[in-house]
Amino acid sequence: MKRKLLTLLAALFALTLFAAACGDNGDDATDTATAPAATEAPEEEMDEPEEEMMDHLGDGSLGVAEVDEGEEIQIRSLNAITGDVAFLGLPNQRGVELAIEHFGPIHGFGVDIGTGLDDLCSADGGQAAAQAIVADDSVVGVIGTSCSGAAVAAAPLITNAGMVMISPSNTSPALTSDLAGTAGENYSVGYYRTAHNDLYQGAAMAEFVYEDLGLTNAAAIHDGDPYTQGLAQAFADAYEELGGTVTGFTGVNKEDTDMVPVLTEIAAGGPDALFFPIFQPAGDHIAAQASGVAGLENVVLLAADGLLTDGFLELSQTAGMYFSGPDVRFGDNTNESTGRTADDFLSEYETLYGGAPEAAFWAHSYDATTLLLEAVEAASYVDGDTLVIDRQGVRDYLNGVSDYSGLIGSISCDEFGDCGAQRITVIHHEDPNDIATSKANVVFEYP
Amino acid sequence: MSSADSGTASSAERVPLLEMRKVNAHYGAVHALRDVDLSIYEGELVCLLGGNASGKSTTLKTLLGMLKPTSGEVVLDGEVVNDRPTSYRVARGITMVPENRRLFKRLTVRENLQLGAYLRKDSDAIAADMERVYELFPRVKERLAQKAGTLSGGEQQMVAIGRALMSQPRVLLMDEPSMGLAPALVQQNFELISQIHEAGMTVFMVEQNANMALGIADRGWVLQTGRVVLDDTAEALLANPALRTSYLGGGKGNDEGETAADDAG
Amino acid sequence: MNGSDVGASRVAPTGRRRRRRTRVDWFLTALRVSMIALVAVGLLAFIAQEINPDNPFARWANPDATGLTGAQFRGLVISGIAQGSMYGLIALGYSMVYGVLGFINFAHGEVFMVGAMTGMITSNKLADAGLWESNFIGSLVFIVVVSIIVSSLTAVVMERVAYRPLRGAPRLIPLITSIGVSFFLQNASVVLLGPASKSYPDVPDWVKAKHTFLQIEGAKILVIVVAALSMAALWYYVDRTKTGKAMRAVAEDAEIASLMGIDVNRTIVKVFAVGGAMAGMAGILWGILFRSVIHTTGFLPGIKAFSAAVVGGIGHLGGAMAGGLSIGVAESVGPLLILEPLGVSGVSQLRDAVAFSMLIIVLLVRPAGLFGERLPAEDRA
Repeated sequence: MKRKLLTLLAALFALTLFAAACGDNGDDATDTATAPAATEAPEEEMDEPEEEMMDHLGDGSLGVAEVDEGEEIQIRSLNAITGDVAFLGLPNQRGVELAIEHFGPIHGFGVDIGTGLDDLCSADGGQAAAQAIVADDSVVGVIGTSCSGAAVAAAPLITNAGMVMISPSNTSPALTSDLAGTAGENYSVGYYRTAHNDLYQGAAMAEFVYEDLGLTNAAAIHDGDPYTQGLAQAFADAYEELGGTVTGFTGVNKEDTDMVPVLTEIAAGGPDALFFPIFQPAGDHIAAQASGVAGLENVVLLAADGLLTDGFLELSQTAGMYFSGPDVRFGDNTNESTGRTADDFLSEYETLYGGAPEAAFWAHSYDATTLLLEAVEAASYVDGDTLVIDRQGVRDYLNGVSDYSGLIGSISCDEFGDCGAQRITVIHHEDPNDIATSKANVVFEYP
Repeated sequence: MSSADSGTASSAERVPLLEMRKVNAHYGAVHALRDVDLSIYEGELVCLLGGNASGKSTTLKTLLGMLKPTSGEVVLDGEVVNDRPTSYRVARGITMVPENRRLFKRLTVRENLQLGAYLRKDSDAIAADMERVYELFPRVKERLAQKAGTLSGGEQQMVAIGRALMSQPRVLLMDEPSMGLAPALVQQNFELISQIHEAGMTVFMVEQNANMALGIADRGWVLQTGRVVLDDTAEALLANPALRTSYLGGGKGNDEGETAADDAG
Repeated sequence: MNGSDVGASRVAPTGRRRRRRTRVDWFLTALRVSMIALVAVGLLAFIAQEINPDNPFARWANPDATGLTGAQFRGLVISGIAQGSMYGLIALGYSMVYGVLGFINFAHGEVFMVGAMTGMITSNKLADAGLWESNFIGSLVFIVVVSIIVSSLTAVVMERVAYRPLRGAPRLIPLITSIGVSFFLQNASVVLLGPASKSYPDVPDWVKAKHTFLQIEGAKILVIVVAALSMAALWYYVDRTKTGKAMRAVAEDAEIASLMGIDVNRTIVKVFAVGGAMAGMAGILWGILFRSVIHTTGFLPGIKAFSAAVVGGIGHLGGAMAGGLSIGVAESVGPLLILEPLGVSGVSQLRDAVAFSMLIIVLLVRPAGLFGERLPAEDRA
């Protein structure tokens, strides 16, 4: 009897491992999508419109934030500033800091971001940080998150509290819309972003593969993360729309190293091109092992901005790959609020931090911040010694943004918060020993 | 103690091979040995008798260094070895055939014998001793490549003794050699011990079966609740009614034991 | 003594021999049957599909299944063997430590990670000096030696600092401690080397290229051959040398082993050292095959190697290697061989699930593992 029970326990233990192994992916999104609903928006005191009120945006329906004399307007930065993706989050946070400095005071009040918060690039991290933010009802808006996975958890909490959230680098279609008028499953009113929607990136890559490379069979691999899943799906949908055949669509686990099985699964369909918009280190292994699998000897490898990092481009197996990503040729685009160009920003960044930013979304972060500050300015008025910010007014301003000139180009917000310039480029990476040339080697532009 | 002295008169001047001097030992709060004095001389076959939990096994563990005495001395060939580990004592010529034999069941018979000679480096002499064990137990030779766990109880006993002999012991400790064996095998086993003793081995045996043990032993002690209550020659012990009352009677309690101890003193 | 008189002799020996089947028994049987049925149907569907893609049975199971070519199948098996031999090498450490101390050293996967990291650092230094390219084999031997030393030392220090003070404590306590040690080593790696994944230098073309022999990449041949040699060396060490016999003796009965004059503590240290060396060797092979390491590299292979040790029969060295190979091949081949023909989608994400199902199936059918001996309880007293 005892032995039987032990066996059963061992089996249950193994089943738990099994479940943990299967449930590793996708869980995050579903867990957290439901969790934040429980959090109530703090009841704001509803100020009756007063006669002496200055002209400002908003009807007070979401309440106001008041800034007393000597205090500062509170906004927050919520980015992945530690761990594997710190290369993405740190430049974002610095973009926020510099934008605030360049923008200057609003109606005589300074702006403060407190301590830079960390989204840990995960749903858990996003949720924890968002809870800390909404506990302080003086906060008007948040610039973040860096990662779509974190936004899925953070956005409902933050927007329910009457604050706005503008992300510089979330690209998952689920957070905004399908671009055809239907909100994504994780869309929250009050969420905006200056990053592109991955439907554009997927479409760009699909068009490039089908029309420019002339390949009619392609496969895609994601790693279960909302960003990679969304982008791989966007690519597959756009590719079929164009007339191509998607010969395989599957996933890996982020910790996988032996990619022969997944590549064999893909090889069974006989694709000419393989798109894997994932991250390191799983991306390293796919790139290295693809040519060794029977049927994939000559497959064209394609990846997206998640792998467009120096660490990946340096690997010998990445020679010949194509990468899609936001168009980073900012040229002399000028931010209309601060009058700065991308070059101004970069030289100041290098002086302050001793090197160029590692990821491209600093510009999106800078523009997101100036947009938020413009919105605060438009939605606030001084009442005696106090600055009153109408929360609905902040949203009204952002909803109406049209042809705003930013570092990333012309910014217009659609009804689901997509404000990005939506300009995508594809680069051809020829020589792992000369990354700079590869990054500038644009072979395709979208639109 | 007069009778004991007379029994060993011939060896009185010699240094005992193995000795316990006023040894006390504890298991946590349990006082397991109380002022135990034992001396074993070269060439003797002696036995320590006692019922369950009388301290017999503790005595062996203390002699071997698996348990440290709280006071008193363990002396091996004139050297106090209280702080020496088991391996040191084994190297100096003491070894044990454990209760229930405790062979390495998943190892082969040959490997068991080889492990008996673990501390020895003299491969020629080891081979010679191996041959001696085969001579002593021809059955063992047939089973060399078999796993020890597959042997019968009697064969295991042979291997256990053989393994102990492989360390070239000067004194062989035997923990309950009759334990867990069929009656016929018990008889055979005591004959084996007797045979080894006659071949010149010093044997110190711990037993419950007093009649059997005293039948082959020279001298004996009776241990009760950690105290030596009787110390005499085998014949004297067999004839001593105190042995019957205190021990063979089934250890009915301390009172009788104390009486027996007084008688012996 | 069946039938009519059972009621009269409720406590009769018969009753004891034919134990009443409990609910647990029924549940286990049902689980066994369904697991095996699943595997059987999947395999049959695969075979049907390979014989003829339009086979009605295959179509019924999964209308979209495409099947595999011979070359693809071979590629999967070889990649599984290569991966599995590394699991096997790591599993040896779990098995040996379990053998002597009776607890699972969960930090053993991290010893493997330490080996892989050491190889990464050493090989990059050699590459900087230009030796990696000019004398690859020599460099490889060098990093193997360094990595084995470092990972053995890690294992030995771990035993001395974390486990020896707990000798004699209930087994759960060193087990929990080992999880702590595991976290410690992972975090130490983050502190010392940073959280990003790190690469081995590029290997020569003959390692990357496929060879005419069975169309296998050089790296995989290297991994399989080196793993087999390491295993043979370990087998010789444990089975034939005096120290090896001492290890087996300590594993079976430490008290009696000490009675033979064996220094038990030193033997245990040697067990940790040897297990660590095997893990270090696996770390280097990992580095050569995948060329990238991160502080979490040890976790999943560690858990799978532990499963391999259990599948093979924990405490049994040949079993550990066999368990490693079976888990490696199962997780490589299983998704496409069994799950794909059943119409499961995204099968490649289920490779870990397949690996652990293998553990479940073996535990259900042979609770002691493939090679585990079932000794009566009193034998381990």
